Amino acid sequence: MIALDRGTLRALGQVRQLGREHMRPIGVESDRTGLPPPADHPFYLLCSRRGGLVSWETGEADGEDGDADTESSSPDGRARLAWRPLRALLLNEEAAYWDRGVALSLPGPGLGGAALRTTATPEQREKYLAVFSDHERAHWGAMAMTEPGAGSDVARIQTRARRDGDEWVLSGSKMFCSNGARADWVVVWATVDPGLGREGHRAFVVERGTPGFEVIKIEHKMGSRGYETASFSLDDVRVSAGNLLGGESFYESRRGFKGAMATFNITRPIHAAQGVGMGRAALDLAIEFVRSEYPTHGRRRQRALERIAEIRRGLHAARLLCMHAVWLAAQDKPNTLEASYSKLYAPPIVLRAVSTAMDVIGEDAVRRDAMIEKLYRDVKILDIGEGTQQVQRVVVARQLFGFPRDP
Amino acid sequence: MFGFDLTPDIEELISVVARLGAEELHDGVRDAEQAGAWPDRVLAVLRELPLGGLDLPESLGGVGAGCLAKVAVLEELAAHDAGGLPATDQPGPAVGAVLACPDTDRAREVAGASLDGRAGCVLAVVEEGQLLAARLAWVPARPLPSWVWVSQADDLCLLQVEAAAGTGRESADESPLAFHASGSSSVSLTSAEVIGSWPLALRGGLQVRGMARLWAAAVLLGVARAALASTLVYTTERVVFGKPVAHHQGNAFDLAAIAARVHAAGLCVRDAAGRFDGNDPDAGFWATAAWVEMTETAMAVTDLGIQLLGGHGFLMDHLAEKRFREARMLGLLFGGRDGADADLASAVIAVPDPIVPGEIT
Repeated sequence: MIALDRGTLRALGQVRQLGREHMRPIGVESDRTGLPPPADHPFYLLCSRRGGLVSWETGEADGEDGDADTESSSPDGRARLAWRPLRALLLNEEAAYWDRGVALSLPGPGLGGAALRTTATPEQREKYLAVFSDHERAHWGAMAMTEPGAGSDVARIQTRARRDGDEWVLSGSKMFCSNGARADWVVVWATVDPGLGREGHRAFVVERGTPGFEVIKIEHKMGSRGYETASFSLDDVRVSAGNLLGGESFYESRRGFKGAMATFNITRPIHAAQGVGMGRAALDLAIEFVRSEYPTHGRRRQRALERIAEIRRGLHAARLLCMHAVWLAAQDKPNTLEASYSKLYAPPIVLRAVSTAMDVIGEDAVRRDAMIEKLYRDVKILDIGEGTQQVQRVVVARQLFGFPRDP
Repeated sequence: MFGFDLTPDIEELISVVARLGAEELHDGVRDAEQAGAWPDRVLAVLRELPLGGLDLPESLGGVGAGCLAKVAVLEELAAHDAGGLPATDQPGPAVGAVLACPDTDRAREVAGASLDGRAGCVLAVVEEGQLLAARLAWVPARPLPSWVWVSQADDLCLLQVEAAAGTGRESADESPLAFHASGSSSVSLTSAEVIGSWPLALRGGLQVRGMARLWAAAVLLGVARAALASTLVYTTERVVFGKPVAHHQGNAFDLAAIAARVHAAGLCVRDAAGRFDGNDPDAGFWATAAWVEMTETAMAVTDLGIQLLGGHGFLMDHLAEKRFREARMLGLLFGGRDGADADLASAVIAVPDPIVPGEIT
């Protein structure tokens, strides 16, 4: 059995309150207008003043000491940001329960933070995370990997990184970058030579306002409209050598690409856990419907309860997979397989949960003002972002039985 | 506290039975089926463990190692050969009834006889509003059961079948679908004597049935694990159309997906066991959910195992067909799928979230 510590319970309570009072209504409004909340939305300032999600995840906000069960430390013994993976997982799940789109738009380092954790030097982590200590303004970080011609096959990225003296020059374009247009900095993955494949990959921090960095477009999406999904171009963007995450030595052999993949080993279970939160929202809607429409015994009530039990069973299994994957990560144990298990398994289960809840609710579920209708549109992206289900199957197949890479 | 670790004691238990399975069971699976029993030396080691007493407290004659320890041991043994487990593990699936019985003297008597092999006890699950069947279709043959626990809704009843002269325990004429190494008998209940009948707490019946289902889920997990492992071995060695079977993307994707399902279901099984050990009043609900998950998964992975072996999978030269039969049979016990679904449905709204509390103060 898993018991939650007081700090995690307190943080969950905060997210729940914010979710009920702000995230759900803001998410519904964003869905209606098709636009994410603006960066200066009062809700973001409120979040920042309360310490921001990054602080809730790390325990910084309430001055907690390290927790031996959840604290992460680097293999070389140097202190790492006291990141609590289970807490991060459950807070993401809870936030997504209220509105995943708005949850993804919350101020904080986002996916960029995960890249910093796996790839950056301690000095770089300190430098780029410092901005989140400013609680008087909302701040975001982001990560950009996907390109118009390289989605699932991230090894094929074409954005070029060229060394020029003490600087690097970046050229190319990126898309599907969450919060990329409002971020203080973006971790940009580029290649020093496309011919080198994964071995050519490097990660750079590009700060907002750097000349040549231009947001081209904010995408219009079927669902999950509470956060911005940006495309941007890099036109001879110059960054200092110090912006190369991990420094030159990190990229010897294939560590660069492995750094990116290690990032996914953290983010995939969290991404999957967001789905569990959305599934829980669908579950509660179905239960509410049954209580209201079938309050006493009857054939329809029995059938509905059986289907609700099916939803709970699937979500419980998905949640345990996510928790197991981050538990391994927290101990610096290999978790590539388990992270992909969680990402492979959870999204289809969650889609089925939402769809089954719609079955329970019936025709009312199609109404645009029905929360379940929005959830159905919101949830599909889970099976695509952070590596599609198909990519996860490839990863698992490679890990388990040596499924070959393309020549 | 947050962890998925097993204690060193449980790890040690696993290593003991893993060694036993590898050395004494693995190569003799078909012999055990023919003999209708596991070898005596295996039974001796498991009596010494003692397998049946792992999840029984010392006050009932067990060693109090806990449900998680029991589940881990069952999984490991089943991965080598599940065939003899129903006969060997006593009181086995009925342990929840023994624990729930308010008449502790009677519970101790039944547990003691089961543990030392003098007489067995089995659990019968009866649907709410239904009459007890006149006959239990299949029970292991050794030891022949003297007691039948009956779980119906939140009531528990104990029957003695020895009293039913001439119509009590009967050997089955034909082999059942699986578990041939446990033998086979059927039990008539028409003249059974009612020893006691007790109302349990709300959802107390689900705890009893949940422990039985968790027993089956643990065995299913071992069967599923073995099916997956042997399928991976075969499909990475066997070459078709120029490359290993597993390296054709259609097969690779199926294998990857089923591996994830086996892992997920296994976590559910262990989580439910931990809930029993932690005295979670809803452990029975989560155990039942784990059993449903495990049943579906085991049937899928054993089916895939046969499918990818092709014609070989249908032959008794391989164990794929045995695991396929075992998975199906374990999904029919203790009220079967419909009984489990009914149990889950009746409790699903009342059972709180097991991780994130509904109210946070």
